[in-house]
Amino acid sequence: MTAVVAPAAAEPRRPARRAGVLDWLVTTDHKHIGILYMATTLGFFLVAGAIALVMRAQLAQPGLHIVERQAYNQLFTLHGTAMIFLVIAPFALGLANYLLPLHIGAADLAFPRMNALTYWLLLAGGLTIFSGLLLSTGAAAAGWTMYAPLSDFENTPGPGVDLWIMGVLMISASSIMTAINFLTTVMLFRAPGMTMMRLPVFVWNIIVTSLIILMAFPPLAVAMAELFIDRRLGGHFFDASHGGSAILYQHVFWFFGHPEVYVMILPYFGVVTQVVSTFSRRPVFGYLGMVLASFAIAGLSMGVWAHHMFTTGAVNNPFFSIMSFLIAVPTGIKYFNWIGTMWQGALVFPTAMLFAIGFMLNFLLGGVTGVMVASPPLDYHVEDTYFLVTHFHYTLAGGSMFALLAALYFWFPKITGRLLSERLGMLSFWLTFVGYNITFIPLFLVGLLGMPRRVVTYLPLPGWPELNLTSTAGAGVLALGIALTMWNLVVSWSRGAPAGDDPWGGGTLEWATSSPPPERNFHALPPIRSDRPAFDMRMPQGTPGGQARARAG
Amino acid sequence: MRMDPGWVRRAGVVCRRYASAPLLAVAGLGLSGCASPLPGAATVQGQRIAHLWAVFFLSAAGVAGAVYGLILWCIVRYRRRSDGLPPQYRDNIPVEIMYTAVPVGIVAFLFALTYGTEIHVDRVAPRPDVTINVTAFKWSWLFDYPGTGITVAGTPDYPPIAMVPVGRTVRIVLTSTDVVHAFYIPSFLYKRDATPGLVQRFDLEIRRPGEYLGECVEFCGFDHTRMRFWLRAVPPAQFDRWIEQGPRVVHQRVRYTAP
Repeated sequence: MTAVVAPAAAEPRRPARRAGVLDWLVTTDHKHIGILYMATTLGFFLVAGAIALVMRAQLAQPGLHIVERQAYNQLFTLHGTAMIFLVIAPFALGLANYLLPLHIGAADLAFPRMNALTYWLLLAGGLTIFSGLLLSTGAAAAGWTMYAPLSDFENTPGPGVDLWIMGVLMISASSIMTAINFLTTVMLFRAPGMTMMRLPVFVWNIIVTSLIILMAFPPLAVAMAELFIDRRLGGHFFDASHGGSAILYQHVFWFFGHPEVYVMILPYFGVVTQVVSTFSRRPVFGYLGMVLASFAIAGLSMGVWAHHMFTTGAVNNPFFSIMSFLIAVPTGIKYFNWIGTMWQGALVFPTAMLFAIGFMLNFLLGGVTGVMVASPPLDYHVEDTYFLVTHFHYTLAGGSMFALLAALYFWFPKITGRLLSERLGMLSFWLTFVGYNITFIPLFLVGLLGMPRRVVTYLPLPGWPELNLTSTAGAGVLALGIALTMWNLVVSWSRGAPAGDDPWGGGTLEWATSSPPPERNFHALPPIRSDRPAFDMRMPQGTPGGQARARAG
Repeated sequence: MRMDPGWVRRAGVVCRRYASAPLLAVAGLGLSGCASPLPGAATVQGQRIAHLWAVFFLSAAGVAGAVYGLILWCIVRYRRRSDGLPPQYRDNIPVEIMYTAVPVGIVAFLFALTYGTEIHVDRVAPRPDVTINVTAFKWSWLFDYPGTGITVAGTPDYPPIAMVPVGRTVRIVLTSTDVVHAFYIPSFLYKRDATPGLVQRFDLEIRRPGEYLGECVEFCGFDHTRMRFWLRAVPPAQFDRWIEQGPRVVHQRVRYTAP
């Protein structure tokens, strides 16, 4: 730790040298690995997004115009698998990879080589899953949930499912190692003065996310192992005709699957918290309540899995219903924290803040419809229709994806030393926000009319073609918005305006070092007396993090 | 007696300031009333679900309207206007307790309604009027009327059309022979999974005659999309005449496929 706080003169800057390909391949630096994570997950994001566009094109009108049945089944399986296992969750882990040591004033993560391994496992896992496309029998096509017995050997003999299982196993090993790494780092590597209650909310949410990963991913590995034993080694875990149980698979899978939802949202709650606090020039409102809410979400998330199984008739619906209702409360608390942070603030609206506000507006619809589907009688109608699909897209796409874009605009200057174009950014935001809602609001409606998910086409019942066509048109606008941001990233990487160390007036420690940070992150650390040390550094007149004026409002 | 002009002006400012939040909430509620395109529930059980839906929809619209109002209020009112540092307070315990307790109250209320609805929807009669054994398979349905020798069978190209009586308690006994399917009739607002190795029982009491589309909604492989069926609900006398025609296997000859 002494090396971290050594004065700048003690460690002369190395002459800047462009990292070559080999450097990227063998790096154990958390910042390089973080960039590799984020670049890779954005690559998978573009692939999974392109798949979504093909599906929307196919569904624009009734009939088979674009793809055939089995191709479509592979497409939605790959779209879901990639977005969940290769984009939303690992982008957050990659962002934390980059930010966590900077946030707590550390030089690197606790286990740098294991960290590198997690990245290569993630990449290998993703490529393994997609390699199924090269098979004559195609990639896995049983949906990202890979329900048994549809995914067993008898019903799906092709090796696409085996590749899928192996890929998911690699990704789950990667996530478990990352979680251990993050927890160890936060426990042992905080800079002097960085007490637990001064951690940025993003770091708290990464702690909670890591705990959820440690509880949820081992059961996923179990489900995958059992599925593989059933498929290839003569097992009968999920085979009812030999004493197994199809319901068992759903239990083990959703025991992972629902906590995974919070793995995909909690880091982004942290992103939004920090973006909103920075651009409101206010400290995080209700910090302790927000941390406790994250822990409440983690605890409750372990007891809600069977709300995915209300319609099986094989679980205790009222228990899982009340648990699912309750988890809405800590999630709601976070909204009031954000509103409290903005309240009486001095708000400015660069692109990062726009995406954070877009997150709040969209995720709210995912939240209130989440309460609806947590009610078993309502779920009897909407389960496995487009209403359900739209509900979780409002949480993961309208929610997490918007926060992901906010994170890109917020931290790109720190990572590259260059600003993203705000003009392109604003245009991208409005196209993305408007396009997103044009895409998905019609799908709420067509879901209520009874359109099932995972169908390649549909009957031309009243309203269905019109709603689907509107949705497809919206998807085009949405894609244009995303494309603008990707173009922005590419152009600004080499040609953006210089950002300086702290373009936003940020509060957390990464804004107290250079952009990009030096090899060991800090030449010198400011004193840490609150959760906003960089803010305190700029405000030396005795308002450390606002503590001195705690009751001023 | 005399109105204080200063007071009037201040009241006007306050009204204008705070008008947007309740207006938005009211607008949200108004919209919700007409923008809820639930298919008209054709069963007694579905009617209960539709009533529950209405309460949830209004609650959701109210909550969302209030939160949207607060967010938009912040965006409009607290836009940066000077370089001064805004107040830096970071908590307010009474407000935090309130915004924890009120949502707990809301979800407790919604859960009570949910529970009351679910026991009615899930209730199975001791002696149903008609029992139909429904078997799901890749990729169609088999409707068997026990004790009558009548079976209605379908294929993806020729979905089965099963007869059901209006106004009687129809017991569905549901299972699957291969993978997990789900028996879903949008007009009934109801579905139940058909799981191999499990037998599920539920009751439907259909309120009005008609042809109701049924779909498989649990993805089941290649031809999942075309795994449809129809329930033809007819008056009891007509249903009895259909039963009395004697044991037979009914295959459909009408092609219902997507164009």
